[in-house]
Amino acid sequence: MKNTTNKKNLDAYLTLIAGIVLVLLNVVLLAGKMPAYYSGILRFVGINIILAVSLNLINGITGQFSLGHAGFMAVGAYVSALVSIHLGWPLILALFVGALAAALLGVLIGLPTLRLKGDYLAIATLGLGEIIRVVILNLDITKGARGLGSIPRTTNIYLVELVAVITILFTVNLMRSTHGRALLSIREDEIAAEAMGINTTFYKVFAFSAGAFFAGLAGGLFAHSMGYIAPSNFEFMRSIEILVMVVLGGLGSITGSVVAAFVLTILPEALRGFAQFRMVLYSALLIAIMLFRPSGLMGTRELDVRSALTIFKSGGEKDAE
Amino acid sequence: MPSNHLLDAKGLTMNFGGLTAVANLNFHLNKGDLVGLIGPNGAGKTTVFNMLTGVYTPSEGTVELESELVSNLKPYKITRKGIARTFQNIRLFNELSVLDNVRIAFHSRRNYPIVNAVFLTPSFFKAERAVKKDARELLSILRLEDKQDEKAKNLSYGQMRRLEVARALATNPKLLLLDEPAAGMNPQETEELTELIALIREKFALTILLIEHDMSLVMKICERIMVLDYGVLIANGTPQEIQENERVIEAYLGGEV
Ligand SMILES: Nc1ncnc2c1ncn2[C@@H]1O[C@H](COP(=O)(O)OP(=O)(O)OP(=O)(O)O)[C@@H](O)[C@H]1O
Ligand SMILES: [Mg+2]
Repeated sequence: MKNTTNKKNLDAYLTLIAGIVLVLLNVVLLAGKMPAYYSGILRFVGINIILAVSLNLINGITGQFSLGHAGFMAVGAYVSALVSIHLGWPLILALFVGALAAALLGVLIGLPTLRLKGDYLAIATLGLGEIIRVVILNLDITKGARGLGSIPRTTNIYLVELVAVITILFTVNLMRSTHGRALLSIREDEIAAEAMGINTTFYKVFAFSAGAFFAGLAGGLFAHSMGYIAPSNFEFMRSIEILVMVVLGGLGSITGSVVAAFVLTILPEALRGFAQFRMVLYSALLIAIMLFRPSGLMGTRELDVRSALTIFKSGGEKDAE
Repeated sequence: MPSNHLLDAKGLTMNFGGLTAVANLNFHLNKGDLVGLIGPNGAGKTTVFNMLTGVYTPSEGTVELESELVSNLKPYKITRKGIARTFQNIRLFNELSVLDNVRIAFHSRRNYPIVNAVFLTPSFFKAERAVKKDARELLSILRLEDKQDEKAKNLSYGQMRRLEVARALATNPKLLLLDEPAAGMNPQETEELTELIALIREKFALTILLIEHDMSLVMKICERIMVLDYGVLIANGTPQEIQENERVIEAYLGGEV
């Protein structure tokens, strides 16, 4: 009992700190006091949050081990970039088309591969990601290995923030509904889930395509942030990076994904001088989590505003204790 | 004509490679029946449940629920038609709360579009309130109400088995299949379970097919008993008839009776 109260208090303070950090960042941004270099990093933080939360939907919540997230990101990036370049559509529309393309691919690929389980699914999705990259590498319209340039650099930090918030709200609201519980039940026991009347095929494809949709959005934001993209941006290691964020944060914890995406984006920047050790750092982190905290930083816990409010309310009660 | 039949199993056969786990099984259940399915280990009892619920597609034969063919349907559709089950080797959603375990089973009865969940529409809150109320009601019937926030994996064995029953009931079944619901329970828990089965049968107007090794339970509550041996139905009758049946004594009860 005592233990859970302490945990709740911890969650409450963490929520408060997270809220304050977020407000401060935005105040500095809005005041125009943020150097471009830092706001650039923040854009990547936001993009990685979108990627990590959407992968969490597939891997952590639904329990379908996917290693192809960079592939969906690539589809969103290239499709939206091409729409911007060749059709000149506004950014929002271009992003949407890119995300839709990624989601559609998620459905097409999802239907046959989701019969696979565990390791086999991981290998199939890994292959899928690589196929997408190789196709991009060999198409004319994508300019192959040279990369696609002159994409309008229309992404700004507020748009990234908005999409990140939408991704988080979508996932959190979903998780608290009968549909989210259906996804969780698949992770827990697929046979029992079916026996409870849940159409597991539908929900697996749904998780896969919704995850792909948001990864596609992240890809589009990335493309319109860089102005130039190449197949090397979407290699297998990119999928691993996102996976590390999800695992570090805790499979199934949205808060965990957000915090991990934040830390794992900032940290390599701070350690710029050791850039070549980045992947070593990731691998070491992954091993350390597996050894010391397999459930991730947050486990399955979540921060929420209500818990933060209890700090102010419960002041009197604590004195009485 | 057979309007009183809830379930008809016709020529059910299940082959696993060279092994015939169930061979040409014919039986029916009348509405309101409480029937026992017994037999030695490996006789094919669980395999029968797996065929009735669509986990396995029968190698041969059909299953009809109220004269409607269901054996060609996916498991989730069969559940929605009204066949629910518990699992011999407990299959709860371990990392989720007891309440969530039951709420999940309300999925098809208390559904709403995904957009309602994402945009938090009033109908979403209304449906969720209703699910919570219904789920708590079931939990209190199975005497698990004070465990609702516990993770399923932290329950005692007997509580897990009762949660399996609560979950099955949440799908609103016509036919409830119980696979060794008393396994691992002590005599007192078994006694309580026996009463619970009688209670839910009344309350939810259920037809029940029950696999059980605990003969005291089976003989006490089943009106009819079917005996499987090596996948073959060797007897089908009242507890009295089964206890006196030569083949059953030979194949299964051995020296015990
Ligand atoms: N998926 C499967 N693949 C291969 N053989 C199987 C499979 N499922 C069951 N069997 C075999 O079919 C036979 C019947 O198994 P089943 O589980 O139905 O027996 P049971 O009557 O429920 O036994 P118990 O009382 O031990 O639960 C056994 O020989 C078992 O090994
Ligand atoms: Mg069995």
